[in-house]
Amino acid sequence: MNENEFAVLAAGHALRALSDADERRYADALLAHPEWAAIAEEDAATAALLADAAAPVEPPSTVRDSLLAQIGQAPQSDAATGPSTEREPATRARPEPRQRRWSRGLFALAASVVLIAGLGIGAAVLIPQLTQPASVVALEKIEAASDAQQARVELDSGAQATAHWSGSLGSAVLVTEGLAALDDDETYQLWLVRGEEALPAGLFETDAGAATALVDGTMREGDVIAVTVEQSGGSPTGLPTTEPIIAIPTA
Amino acid sequence: MLVEMVIDGMDMPEDGTAGDLAADLLVRVAGGDQGAFAELYDLLSSRVFGLILRVLVNRSQSEEVLQEVFLEIWQSAARFAPNRGQGRTWVLTIAHRRAVDRVRASQSSTDRDVRAGIRDIGVAHDSVAEQAELSIEGERVVAALGTLPDPQREALVLSYYGGYSQSEIAVLVGAPLGTVKTRMRDGLSRMRNEMGVNA
Repeated sequence: MNENEFAVLAAGHALRALSDADERRYADALLAHPEWAAIAEEDAATAALLADAAAPVEPPSTVRDSLLAQIGQAPQSDAATGPSTEREPATRARPEPRQRRWSRGLFALAASVVLIAGLGIGAAVLIPQLTQPASVVALEKIEAASDAQQARVELDSGAQATAHWSGSLGSAVLVTEGLAALDDDETYQLWLVRGEEALPAGLFETDAGAATALVDGTMREGDVIAVTVEQSGGSPTGLPTTEPIIAIPTA
Repeated sequence: MLVEMVIDGMDMPEDGTAGDLAADLLVRVAGGDQGAFAELYDLLSSRVFGLILRVLVNRSQSEEVLQEVFLEIWQSAARFAPNRGQGRTWVLTIAHRRAVDRVRASQSSTDRDVRAGIRDIGVAHDSVAEQAELSIEGERVVAALGTLPDPQREALVLSYYGGYSQSEIAVLVGAPLGTVKTRMRDGLSRMRNEMGVNA
């Protein structure tokens, strides 16, 4: 392998896009040519810049608490036990046999081709949407779906909530207006109520009562889209702790 | 947390002279310093979480992966070599690897397909309350991406944010595999020139 071929592999590695076979060639080449490590490091640094195009999102404080509790018990490895993690061959980190997933993924890919066929057209589409919230894009997709539906409710307070969904996409978005502002230690939480079960479907905040919130998870037709007021960070039990203020059936 | 986000901004080596705070903290974490770990978490967790959410979209999975990432950092901080790159790069590389592995391993093909439609056009996260407020650095990245030829940008976006492999991208965009590989190299190389990256 020459340096140029290695540079091609290093770029794919930095983007985590290599096949397992190429990942092994990459790792072997790096062992054989330690002088090429600088190429790999530059690519890793460049790829990491792409992370900045995703806006930072503050995680729930429960994750921090849980981590700080765990590290007291979790053993640390020393430097001698292995190569730097970022240079580990992908095969070690990947838990699943790839063959099986690949064959399954092909069907998805066949469908994806249609979904993103417009991609090649490029910049005009890609760049503005890079910073657009998922809920807004999801709403556009739902509205473009052939089975798009919507239902609107009005609360006693005069606030309004409209659910938009598409059963074929398995996707739903709730748009609200005029919802009451909550205390700092409270949040609105979405639920997909399926029969007796309430599945947590994400938290949302309002801006002057308005929100466009993507319902997390795969929505099924017949689910009820519900909203409760929960403590900040969401219901600790994973179940609603208050009566829903909004409930919109999708059947 | 806002304060730490500002510090995170200062940590960005925009002029090449700013100290690498994340690297200093990682060295202390490697020595078993739990306080340094908490500081590192406060410094980088919202950036890491934003990235994971971008790739995974699903919030509860993203929270799990965030936890895995920081546990891995705690356990393997000794493998970070300060002379081989920025602390921040090391952390974000682990986060990206784990997010992509999770999207490949755990999301069913239908989920992934639906999300692909949402994600591949390049989307952020799951609540409009979290309006994308990019840092100056983030805006520079978006601007630099905008200068790439379309096929190169497409290759970077589909792999980095979409979690697609080179062979999957070749199928998606209808280009030969070798072409996709070269586009990634050329795309990263142009990004590097636009942004002035030092490893």
